[in-house]
Amino acid sequence: MSTPLIGVSKSILKIKELINHVANTCLNVLITGETGVGKEVVAQSLYAESNRSTKNFVKINCAALPETLLESELYGYEKGAFTGAHKKRPGKFQTADKGVLFLDEIGDMPLALQSKMLHVLQSGEFSPLGSDHEFKTDVWVIAASNHNLEERISQKNFREDLFYRLNIIKIDIPPLRKRKEDISPLIEYYFRLYKSEYPDNHGSKPDSDTLAKLCDYSWPGNVRQLQNCIKKQMILNSWSKIFEELPKEPSENTSDIQTDEQQNGTLSSEDNEFGNHRSTIISEFVDLSTSSDKLFEDISLKKIKKLASNRVEKEVITFVLEKVGWNRSRAAKILKISYKTLLYKMTEFDIHPPVK
Amino acid sequence: MADPSRLLIVDDNEDILSTFYEFFNSMGYEVKTAIDGLAALKLLRDESLFFDCLITDLVMPNISGVGLISIVKKEYPHLKIIAMTGYGDQPGALASEAHADVVLFKPIDLFKIENKVSQLLNQNNDKPED
Repeated sequence: MSTPLIGVSKSILKIKELINHVANTCLNVLITGETGVGKEVVAQSLYAESNRSTKNFVKINCAALPETLLESELYGYEKGAFTGAHKKRPGKFQTADKGVLFLDEIGDMPLALQSKMLHVLQSGEFSPLGSDHEFKTDVWVIAASNHNLEERISQKNFREDLFYRLNIIKIDIPPLRKRKEDISPLIEYYFRLYKSEYPDNHGSKPDSDTLAKLCDYSWPGNVRQLQNCIKKQMILNSWSKIFEELPKEPSENTSDIQTDEQQNGTLSSEDNEFGNHRSTIISEFVDLSTSSDKLFEDISLKKIKKLASNRVEKEVITFVLEKVGWNRSRAAKILKISYKTLLYKMTEFDIHPPVK
Repeated sequence: MADPSRLLIVDDNEDILSTFYEFFNSMGYEVKTAIDGLAALKLLRDESLFFDCLITDLVMPNISGVGLISIVKKEYPHLKIIAMTGYGDQPGALASEAHADVVLFKPIDLFKIENKVSQLLNQNNDKPED
């Protein structure tokens, strides 16, 4: 089930009204807003209210995949299009036919793919990698970005013509700190949601003082951050602890946290060695030099786990491939993964045999 | 005398909007204005109102001029459309693609726009009724 668009602020009500007026037009939509404001929620609402809601909603994150993989994901490929293309695979444009294609983080799409995307949007046709045929596609394109695309255009990182073609309907979602009246209904919604998901948890709702404090906070991570806080409250049941753990406001954060992380002088000498060792490991996955509130936004255990396991996987795969003289089927057998998975991982981690 | 022609003028710049309003009003048109695409769409969907011609800016918040033109051409095909843009070729080209009847580049002389409006509407009147 998708999350509904929650809010009572003027801007959210206007967005709801806009969605209601344009959901059946199938005109390209560009959704902008800071990270965590709910861009995908808006895309889902557009889809749910449209006459395409019985077809597919296909999402692709343009920032998460390397260029070549993103291209084959979007357009699909024919058997034999490239090494490892053992059978034909449909792309997202095909799976989303008659439905919605949600292009998340469009601002991070590589320039070469932007021009291909422009061609598809202009002509409504695409051709899978390795195919001579152009296929008709009827997808409703909804794109989202947390970058200021006008800025990316002036830096020559984003095509102006693609921008105007996507920007037919523009939905800008303001950050949570600019619509504080939405905080209370959001808390209400997530409390009810987590309560129904985990009936054994007994976190209490905020009282009026706590609510005032929550409304005072700047929420740099927006709705997603608030949502995480409520999830935590369900388990910890201690608002004071949650406030302690919130990244400090930019105005007051300069002294305390930064000194801790930048120099270990405040640590006792015994802790020092471990502290150093620890921050060396952590710094491999998290940029410790950023300001503390930004830093705390980045320490998602799930994300770090992924990064760490990716790194180890890459090393192990390369190690085995080298040992077997880059014989991929042997390597796949040794690693106990399928041949296809190995090829996928080699592309994902950018592992190439040495050039002879 | 025939009823005055009814115009809907859309621009996110309030100064432009009031200048256009004054001008077309003084030329004998019945004028409504909207500050963005959504406001315009709401007026268009208001069943008590009728329009003969839409004059719209292209780069605007929420529903862009290009979006508005596409919707209008589909839902109100009788409406004549004049698009105006100050943002270079891209939006103008998209407006033509969306079948705007006329695309003009800013700055535009008001009399020239009025001229286009009356041309478009007369063309319309010349057609036999069916």
